[in-house]
Amino acid sequence: MNVGPVVRATITFLIFIVLHYTLRPLLGWRAPMDFLILALLLAAVRVRPGTAAIIGFLLGLVSDSLAPEALGAGAIAMTTIGFGASYLKAVFFADNLVLNAFFFFLGKWVFDIMYFIGEQRVHGVELVQQLLLWSPLSAAVTAAAGVLLLFIMRPLLEPSTA
Amino acid sequence: MYRAGRSNPRIDLIILTTCILLALAARTLPATMRDPVATAMRRTFLAPLVMLQGRAEMSRQSLLLAESKTAVRDSVSLTAMRAGSLEGENERLRKLMGLASGLRWGFVPAEALHGRGIRDETTVILTAGSQAGVSRLSPVIAPEGLVGVVDQVDPTMSHAMLWTHPDFRVSAMSPDGSAFGIAQAHLRGTTNGYLIELRGVPFRAALKPGALIVSSGWGGVWPRGIPVGTVLQEIKTSESWARTYLLRPAVSPADIYSVMILRRDRVAKGMDGVWESVAEAEAAAQRIVVAGDSAAKSAALAEAAARRAVLDSTARATGQPVPTGGDSARVFTAPRPAPVRVPADTDTTRARVLTVPPPVDTTPRQPPPTDSLPARPGLTR
Repeated sequence: MNVGPVVRATITFLIFIVLHYTLRPLLGWRAPMDFLILALLLAAVRVRPGTAAIIGFLLGLVSDSLAPEALGAGAIAMTTIGFGASYLKAVFFADNLVLNAFFFFLGKWVFDIMYFIGEQRVHGVELVQQLLLWSPLSAAVTAAAGVLLLFIMRPLLEPSTA
Repeated sequence: MYRAGRSNPRIDLIILTTCILLALAARTLPATMRDPVATAMRRTFLAPLVMLQGRAEMSRQSLLLAESKTAVRDSVSLTAMRAGSLEGENERLRKLMGLASGLRWGFVPAEALHGRGIRDETTVILTAGSQAGVSRLSPVIAPEGLVGVVDQVDPTMSHAMLWTHPDFRVSAMSPDGSAFGIAQAHLRGTTNGYLIELRGVPFRAALKPGALIVSSGWGGVWPRGIPVGTVLQEIKTSESWARTYLLRPAVSPADIYSVMILRRDRVAKGMDGVWESVAEAEAAAQRIVVAGDSAAKSAALAEAAARRAVLDSTARATGQPVPTGGDSARVFTAPRPAPVRVPADTDTTRARVLTVPPPVDTTPRQPPPTDSLPARPGLTR
């Protein structure tokens, strides 16, 4: 097993997590980008579905710990997203940035749908507005940020040619 | 992209099912168990991330509040600047009121309007005219002393020649009458600021630096006793028959804002004792201000002591430890003055203005007959 790509992927994964807890609150947008989803998706396409599910579960718990009343909702959603992303990586493994952006968009939107339904705090029109307006917006911002970061971190993410 | 190795679907499904079940279990936990779990995670391995998030949110708040904070800071700075100018204005007005109480009658208060022209350092517009009793050659004075003389009069305003004008002259003397001379603007030393020359002083009359020079009353325009300036030094001139002294003016042209214009009937009555009473009134006002400040300070201390005593007694009544900030027993045993509510931001400058007695009316009263002129046979005023 080549250690180099694993280390670089781990570093990228940690950078995304740190960005989630620094850049995201600093911007404070109404439709925020979700760096945890980006980290999960980037990790999921590199590991087995079972491992991706564990990573998603742990990231979900981390995310839920800051909102204890919804503890578990994020874990369910991220477990599913991680497993699904890893399972479907044959479709999305390409280096095409547009496909990756769509991958990020879909992952974030599906996560939001699962999270808000599982959380059960938002109901009725507000839930519809959240899922059909704010969640797609947030997913689009997340996809844009993910593509930008992929572009910036390309040297870190590409497999070693040696 | 990197691909994982060959996977075993069954194991993956088992892991997925386990994770989902655990997440569902976490979701269905009662609040009493959910909160401790989340708290434990936040306090252990999530603590650095929570700290990062907290700092990021604080930074965002700082960015959002930066504009309003700047506005508040600017407002405070502006208020502080205004406070300084208000204090200066209060000081000037207090002196002017002291002069008014010394004059008692026969004067017209006016504001000096400075222009921006080249000749404005020698002339000034006054906001009182003939309708207020101002006439041509009326003396213009300030609390510090001589300012100038009115040379043109309109119904509502007048034009005054300051002592800095090249044509301005005033007969001056030492207060004891030992030295007489003619005071005029010193035009040669412009780089040293505004100064006055006292020319034609007899050789037998030597003046020491710092000696006060006042108007002599000769000539009929200026009454006797108005401060003109103080002696700086003797200077050499072509006039070999008399001494010439350089004076520091009593009134700087840049400080002329509020002035008094003396009416002709007041000039005839002399100014003896007016500047002494001005100085006394100013000193009295200062004493009142100091006393007022002391009273406000002592009242504030008394109120603070009373509050501390109440806090201590409340703490004792509720069984809480007594604050260690002060000796409460001493507060209880000491004679407690009656609490006087005094605003924390007492505006002493405003209080200073109120402490000065209001100006007396300018209607002519019959003062005791005092002739300030020295009885010199053969000379006329």
